[in-house]
Amino acid sequence: MNIVVLAKQVPDPEALIEIKRTGEGLEMEQKFTTSLFDEFALEEALRIKERLGGAVKVITLGTGRAVEVLRTGIAMGVDEVLLLEHQAFLDGDGYATALALSRAIARGPWDIVLCGKQAVDDDRGEVGPMVAQLLGVPHVGSIVKLDIADGKAVAESLVDDGRVVVEVPLPAVLTAHKGLNEPRVPLVTGVMKAMRAQIPRATPEDLGLAANQIGLAGSRVRIKRYVAPKKRSQVQFIDGDAQAAAAEAVRILMDVERVI
Amino acid sequence: METVLIFVETKGEEIKKASQEVLSEGTRLAETGRFAVEAAVLGPVSPNLENAIALYADRVVHIVDPLLDSYTPEGYAMALADYARIASPKMILAGATQTARDFLPRVAVLLECGIASDVTAARWLDEPITVVRPVYGGKVLTEVSCDGSPFIVLTRPNTFDITPPVRQAGEVMERPASLTPGSVKTRLLKKEEKPRGKVDLTEADAIVSGGRGLKAAENFAILEELAGVIGGAVGATRSVVDAKWRVQEDQVGKSGRTVSPKLYIAAGISGAIHHIMGMDTSKTVLAINKDPNAIIFNYATYGIVGDLFEIIPAMTAELKKRLGTSEEASGGS
Repeated sequence: MNIVVLAKQVPDPEALIEIKRTGEGLEMEQKFTTSLFDEFALEEALRIKERLGGAVKVITLGTGRAVEVLRTGIAMGVDEVLLLEHQAFLDGDGYATALALSRAIARGPWDIVLCGKQAVDDDRGEVGPMVAQLLGVPHVGSIVKLDIADGKAVAESLVDDGRVVVEVPLPAVLTAHKGLNEPRVPLVTGVMKAMRAQIPRATPEDLGLAANQIGLAGSRVRIKRYVAPKKRSQVQFIDGDAQAAAAEAVRILMDVERVI
Repeated sequence: METVLIFVETKGEEIKKASQEVLSEGTRLAETGRFAVEAAVLGPVSPNLENAIALYADRVVHIVDPLLDSYTPEGYAMALADYARIASPKMILAGATQTARDFLPRVAVLLECGIASDVTAARWLDEPITVVRPVYGGKVLTEVSCDGSPFIVLTRPNTFDITPPVRQAGEVMERPASLTPGSVKTRLLKKEEKPRGKVDLTEADAIVSGGRGLKAAENFAILEELAGVIGGAVGATRSVVDAKWRVQEDQVGKSGRTVSPKLYIAAGISGAIHHIMGMDTSKTVLAINKDPNAIIFNYATYGIVGDLFEIIPAMTAELKKRLGTSEEASGGS
């Protein structure tokens, strides 16, 4: 079984993010981590390999700190990594990113693509389904349980009004949700190996892509500017004993805010 | 005149709330005189429901095919993209439900067009159309626009007001999708629906969420009761879900659902950033916590410092009195 994991290094959820004064960019505290849902994807890929044999390859796109997610993968036990590293790959929308990733996947053998249901920086959740469409295969989104057998994937997926169990033939794309597994903590030996590892890289040219197909130039959707969310005004405390406070809260919610 | 194509979801004999919102917004767009509204509904839908949707649109296109009997991302994507090629809309709108967020990225690939998922505000009349998307869990908002058309825009539930339709009903047409047999490889084996009467978290107008302050799984009964009285849903924090007091579907926050109800009641929740990211666009937030320094109060409109085990039941009792549901709820005692 050849499994490809798409993973991304993202700012830590606790990291401070500030908008540059002109609104055209962000100042980021330099704290990064693996995107939460991608950790579940990595773990699941390793579990499939441990059960059924095969190889796990992690692909990411980016420059600078992006490579760290690949070292995390190596430390956890993946067999191969690939870094799509070029200025032209950067700042793409879901489409441009999915195009580059799908080309990179198609370069090697693969039966399963696993990725997080969304990256927790852009919060788009588009790349998984888009990669599936670009590769011409089915996908199952937001999975919390997965069984691979007889060339098929049976996955339990969270949907709007409950859960569904879905079967797709392989090859297929699966996007991981929290609840799928408990990601392992890498062993020290794994971390040592990861630090020494040579990281293979691919350029747009290697993937047969022109600069205007990828990154910002290849994007249909562009960020015009960043704005700060509206701050809530100072909290208004409701005083009194439990009975009095409860009655006052109900009055406010019904008569003032009219939200009940 | 330009066309707005709205993807409509239904449940039973009703239009889903997320779709009613977008249809209402469509009606407002039609009133500008610049847009014609088409509503696309896929799979088995009754004539009554077609007519209900037609009250919001100039035309309802009911796309039918045996392969659309149950939802699959492949089938829905092909069917909607095929129709969009004919209608050539300026934009395709839908509520950002899990279903829409699951298959519309595939439509964007098929149409080679732009998509903005989980949008919280829109300026439809700008050229180019500009929409607002939260990123980094809502720490920052982005204003995004799209080159070319259609622009697929999925709006977070509870972004637009629902208004009853007042227009003349549009025409209803049925259209076979003509999907090639074998083109849909996904097979639905089982569907576990939420118990009847349970309100879906992302669509709920009111959510009562509990954190570790609830102390035990069974204590969520008091939140269930309060939610029941106001027709809301019950949510939970990550630690509560990790402790298996509540199921994953109930989790509000970064690794759970993002919600935006009119009323969010946070009971016994400290206010970890992961949780705030899932609820910060709620309209009115009431936080109840024993600790006056709890971070949740920084993100609340109203706060009560006190014991939730006294305050929540007292609120439920007060609401029953005011809403006149005391007899029914007292269980015949």
